[in-house]
Amino acid sequence: MRSSGFLGGTSGRALAAFLIVIALHVVGTMLIPGYSQPFAIRALLVLASLLAIACIGQTLVVILGGIDLSIPFVIGFANVVAAQLYGEQWNFGLVCAVVGLGALLIGAFNGYVSRRLDIHPLIVTLGTGMVTQGAVLLWTAGFPSGSAPQAVSDFVSIGGSAGPLPVPWIVPAVVVLGFLVAILLARTPYGRRLYALGSNPGAAPLALIDPVAMWTITFALSAFCSAITGVLLLGFTGSAYGDVGQPYLFQTIAAVVVGGAAMVGGQGSYLGTIAGALVLTEINTLLIGLGFQPSAVQAALGVIIVLLVSLYGRERHVSKTI
Amino acid sequence: MGNLSSAAAGFLRSAGFAIVLFVLLLAVNLLLNPARYLPGNWGTLIGLAAPLIGASLASAPVILAGRGGIDISVGPAMGFVNAVVIQALFLNLGIASPALLIGAALLTGLAVGAINGLLATIVRIQPIVATLGTYLVLAGITLTIVPAPVGPAPAWLKAMSASWSVLPLAAILVIWLGIRRLPYYDLLMAVGSDDRAAYSAGVPVTKVRFVAYLITGLFSGIAGLMLTALIGSADPNIGANYTLIAIASVALGGVSLAGGRGGLAGAALGAIDIFLLQSVLTSFNVSTYVLQIAYGTILVAAVVLTALQEKLFNGVRAR
Repeated sequence: MRSSGFLGGTSGRALAAFLIVIALHVVGTMLIPGYSQPFAIRALLVLASLLAIACIGQTLVVILGGIDLSIPFVIGFANVVAAQLYGEQWNFGLVCAVVGLGALLIGAFNGYVSRRLDIHPLIVTLGTGMVTQGAVLLWTAGFPSGSAPQAVSDFVSIGGSAGPLPVPWIVPAVVVLGFLVAILLARTPYGRRLYALGSNPGAAPLALIDPVAMWTITFALSAFCSAITGVLLLGFTGSAYGDVGQPYLFQTIAAVVVGGAAMVGGQGSYLGTIAGALVLTEINTLLIGLGFQPSAVQAALGVIIVLLVSLYGRERHVSKTI
Repeated sequence: MGNLSSAAAGFLRSAGFAIVLFVLLLAVNLLLNPARYLPGNWGTLIGLAAPLIGASLASAPVILAGRGGIDISVGPAMGFVNAVVIQALFLNLGIASPALLIGAALLTGLAVGAINGLLATIVRIQPIVATLGTYLVLAGITLTIVPAPVGPAPAWLKAMSASWSVLPLAAILVIWLGIRRLPYYDLLMAVGSDDRAAYSAGVPVTKVRFVAYLITGLFSGIAGLMLTALIGSADPNIGANYTLIAIASVALGGVSLAGGRGGLAGAALGAIDIFLLQSVLTSFNVSTYVLQIAYGTILVAAVVLTALQEKLFNGVRAR
């Protein structure tokens, strides 16, 4: 692991991202009345939590040196299928099992084919994503129906509360998930293999790490997290929508990178990604609060992502890689 | 001569499946709809396929340059060129002269390429993130310039998607053939296959990659003109859609996303395959959902078969 100076290491980058979150929030509070109102902060936390769950898989996949473009499509798949089956009076536990299993299979296929045949995961995940979405739309004829059980809606409702906490359950759940993923990455054989394979795909097999198995498991996990996001989004929006995951295509990549991961693999942390998700949500809220048009928000988001990453996410010069 | 035949063999190997697919799809298309493929209709036909082929050709150079080189801003760049040419220059300023509009489109493309190149190679932001940034910025500016579709386009420009539709494609072909004759092309492929070895051998890796982004930008400018010619108006919502399908075409045509392998002929062929597939499926009158499933399946099947074939080939050669 490379840790040169304050902002060089992975944890330094995550820290930088958290500092930016605080800075953005201070700016927002000064410029926009009501920016730090409890309701506004709750909304921000819920949106960031949804993004953070969708980003778990992208973080793992990026550490591995891959990329997963099927995330928005799997989100849409889970969203629509869960609504449809629950609407047909299925038991919700069974619905979740079916959706989760389907997602695991899609992800496992992505990982297995990409690694086994040395095909760039960008193409494989894009292809399976398109097939998945097409199949779901075909099944529902483009007009999905159904809704989520009340429990799921309460879990993500901005007005909800988790026991004594003034935030819905999803927020503490993401905190717990953050710890679990951090332990998974730092303290388990899986985590060490993930970093080893990502930083040196050639040498890792010599240390008896099976690359195909690792890729299959990791992409399956990614799809599974996308499926969770899809079901939670169903509770959040109230009705099924096949394209509900589309904003997550680039946002997951942006959050992971703003959080300090490198697309070439071997570097990154879920803590950083959570910070990245908060940064993106803060920027979005701030710009909309300042009265920018959606198109201008989009353009400003592009500039800010590039600025942030050029501040602390630069790659090494080729002469430093020899 | 030996060089030429080895280049041809390489093309056959890397784009093998795309060629088979091309022959099959062309045959099916000719059977289903012979009238559409009469020589008299070639102009319109090429004009219809041109934006995708252009986007695919534009995506290829940075991918060839390797180490995660990719430009996902190609689609929005095309949309931006479309907005600049029609809304800003033609409708607002009343400029209709071909030389000025074409020049503006090429310069716009080059400028986008220069910004991407600056961010990805000199600032050294990971290419997919750097071009995601430009993607968002360009899409945002395009929507601000052209909030809703407006028209028309000058008549000469519309002809570029009908009787003269082959011209912009020919322009890309001539430029690329020119580049292939330069020492630069060998440097590009060397950097793409192994940048560390190339750097050790004294190749200015950063400069080579920067120029690849310029070429991609220039071709995006031309592709933007093709798109403008085809739709005959300014539309903020069309350009961005080309990004992913163009990268898929490039991969379908046997260009390795890891860099250094494949070429623009493959990229063009991949795009033509997707276009032909599109016309077969539309002539069956299937729903857009089935269209999407077919795209995805063929894309995955094609890259899987190409990879299997390559593994088989390497196995035979190793023996």
